[in-house]
Amino acid sequence: MKKVWLITALVLAIAIVGVATQTLTVLMPIGGGYTIESQEVLAKGFEQTHPGVKVNMEFVGWANLWNKIITSFGANNAPDVMYIASRWIPALASMGALTPLENYITVQKEHMYYPSVWSSLIYDGHYWGVPRAMSTKVFIYNKKLFKENGITKVPTNWDELLADAKKIYNPKKGIYGILMAGKKFVSTVTQFEQYLCANGGEIVDPKTGKVEIDSPQAIKALEFYKELSKYAQPGITNWTREDLIKLFEAGKGGMYIDHVHNALKAMKAGIDVGFFPIPGGPDSNAPYSTVVVVDCISMSSQTKNKELAWEFMNYMSTLKEQTRWDTLQGFVPPMIKEAEEPEFQKWYWKPYIQALKYGHPQAAGIKDWVSTANAILNAIQSVLLNQSTPQEALKKAAQTIAILQK
Amino acid sequence: MKAKKSTPYVFLLPLIVAFGLFLVYPLAKVVMDSFYKFSFLNPSHKIWVGWFNYKWLFTFKLYSPTYSYFIGALLKTVIWVGGSVGLKIFLGLGGALLLNSEFLKGKKFYRTLLIIPWSIPWAMSAMIWYWTLNGQFGLINSLMIHLHITSEPFAFLGYPTSAFISTFVVDAWIGLPFMVIMLLSGLQTIPKHLYEAATIDGAGDLVKFAKITLPMIKPVLLTVSLLSMVWTFNSFAPIWILTRGGPVTATTTLPIAIYNTSFRYLTFGGVGKASAMTIFQVLLVSSLSLIYIKTLRGGES
Repeated sequence: MKKVWLITALVLAIAIVGVATQTLTVLMPIGGGYTIESQEVLAKGFEQTHPGVKVNMEFVGWANLWNKIITSFGANNAPDVMYIASRWIPALASMGALTPLENYITVQKEHMYYPSVWSSLIYDGHYWGVPRAMSTKVFIYNKKLFKENGITKVPTNWDELLADAKKIYNPKKGIYGILMAGKKFVSTVTQFEQYLCANGGEIVDPKTGKVEIDSPQAIKALEFYKELSKYAQPGITNWTREDLIKLFEAGKGGMYIDHVHNALKAMKAGIDVGFFPIPGGPDSNAPYSTVVVVDCISMSSQTKNKELAWEFMNYMSTLKEQTRWDTLQGFVPPMIKEAEEPEFQKWYWKPYIQALKYGHPQAAGIKDWVSTANAILNAIQSVLLNQSTPQEALKKAAQTIAILQK
Repeated sequence: MKAKKSTPYVFLLPLIVAFGLFLVYPLAKVVMDSFYKFSFLNPSHKIWVGWFNYKWLFTFKLYSPTYSYFIGALLKTVIWVGGSVGLKIFLGLGGALLLNSEFLKGKKFYRTLLIIPWSIPWAMSAMIWYWTLNGQFGLINSLMIHLHITSEPFAFLGYPTSAFISTFVVDAWIGLPFMVIMLLSGLQTIPKHLYEAATIDGAGDLVKFAKITLPMIKPVLLTVSLLSMVWTFNSFAPIWILTRGGPVTATTTLPIAIYNTSFRYLTFGGVGKASAMTIFQVLLVSSLSLIYIKTLRGGES
């Protein structure tokens, strides 16, 4: 009898130890509204519903997320689950760093989201991530400055946009018609892309992979970016989109393109804020436009526990959790049911959700986003600094991107 | 008691192990990696490319029609290091002479103040300067406008030349305390009677500086300027935080280029090419250091 008890105890002990040793490493970004506390609740919640599982959450600043991923793969120590920007998918997937997810994502799960959201996450016929954050952008404007300068209606085309920026521009008083980004930073590419897409242009054709950054529509968009910059804050080549809120909050800018959460920040600072969609350019048939940026959670190819990793990803992407995250961060809901939540019916959310109708994916068809973005940044900066014409700069960028697309 | 012959080697062992682990092994690995093509994302998939990565340094001209990416970065680095180290030596020597002079009161206070730039983490210093140099909210612009030097704010980091100068001035600001403290310690070792004798002989301040001060602090000056040159060559954080190597490629020095090549430009770059760049930088800095030491020692003899 004693022996039986002993064996039972031993088996139980082994089972407990065996279960307790299941560890999952999850890499998350911090910065902006992404705090450790707001993301650690996921680990705690998952551990409670999965006894014996330990979730190790690693955090890294947004600007270093890419480097952290690259170096962890180099050290053969990649996290099981990681937060990535969907624009990185082609590079990561083609290097064999990610696990394809089509065997895990059920039809039911797929249908929870707007179909367009998935277009950013599919590459080479495979699904590489589950949506985590989605954003659209519109113009935020200072109603007081518009009124003071006799502007009674918001611009609906590029001519009106330029004319209004000109009217507001008063550098002697430190007030600028429009706030713009030009620093070597990813958000500068996205800011330019807003005008590029609004004019019917694109970086590459997502269907054929052909480079389109030197098309007449793209050249016109960069010419317009340069023209607008005359009425923006000086030295825009050292401003990121993320820093522009500081100028807007201080009442120094007539308008600029940004997220809803920064509009709310400006309201709190006492600015009377209004919204208008990004008007279509002269070469486009669409009246409005916006670039849709999607971030996702992906599974590493180095993970040894794919089932558990997927369970965690599934846990992170329930309707309840997605709603908590989006309302906390001020992101556009990627889930159809989520958009029905009372929070998203508020007046300041409407322009962002309505903009989805005119959405363009940020990086569709681009194979090496970081290098492509750098080529475009060089083009934007050299034009803003009068080092080359939009035509020359974009031709050079196109030559570079063509090599990257091979 | 007579020590065994092996005793010194036993004491040296920890140093040899540390030297091997932290210097020889990483350096040998970088040399090896420079002959392969591979990415951090897929490190097991290595392809032997021989000298290709070294040839690439001189042939990859995508970002400039005149120079290759590497040569462009190298030339910028030489000017940037010259500017920063020159400024550190000039201001460092001036500061040390001031702190060593007899007429200055409250030297302890100034010495404490001086340590501040060195005690703040580099990244934090660069962030402080990022906002200090800002075109709209920056302290420097505010001062310039209040003193009527300019009527409109100037974005120092927004234009190629001003960004290039601003980044090496910030780097010099960070490295200045080390220079002052070291040179001050050199100055304090000069016997006072040398100056007294020179005064009796009728020598002026400039003559005393050229004939006594400079020769006496030459060993310290040689060491600190050499160390400063090596550190400045590797300076990454200030530039990355201030400009990320821009506008366009105005502040893309070698460390920035190496970083971009290894971590960011996956198609054009890769670990092998970044390793080749690193080896070239190591050889260059070592050669420059040797030439520098030989020239100055030669002058001494």
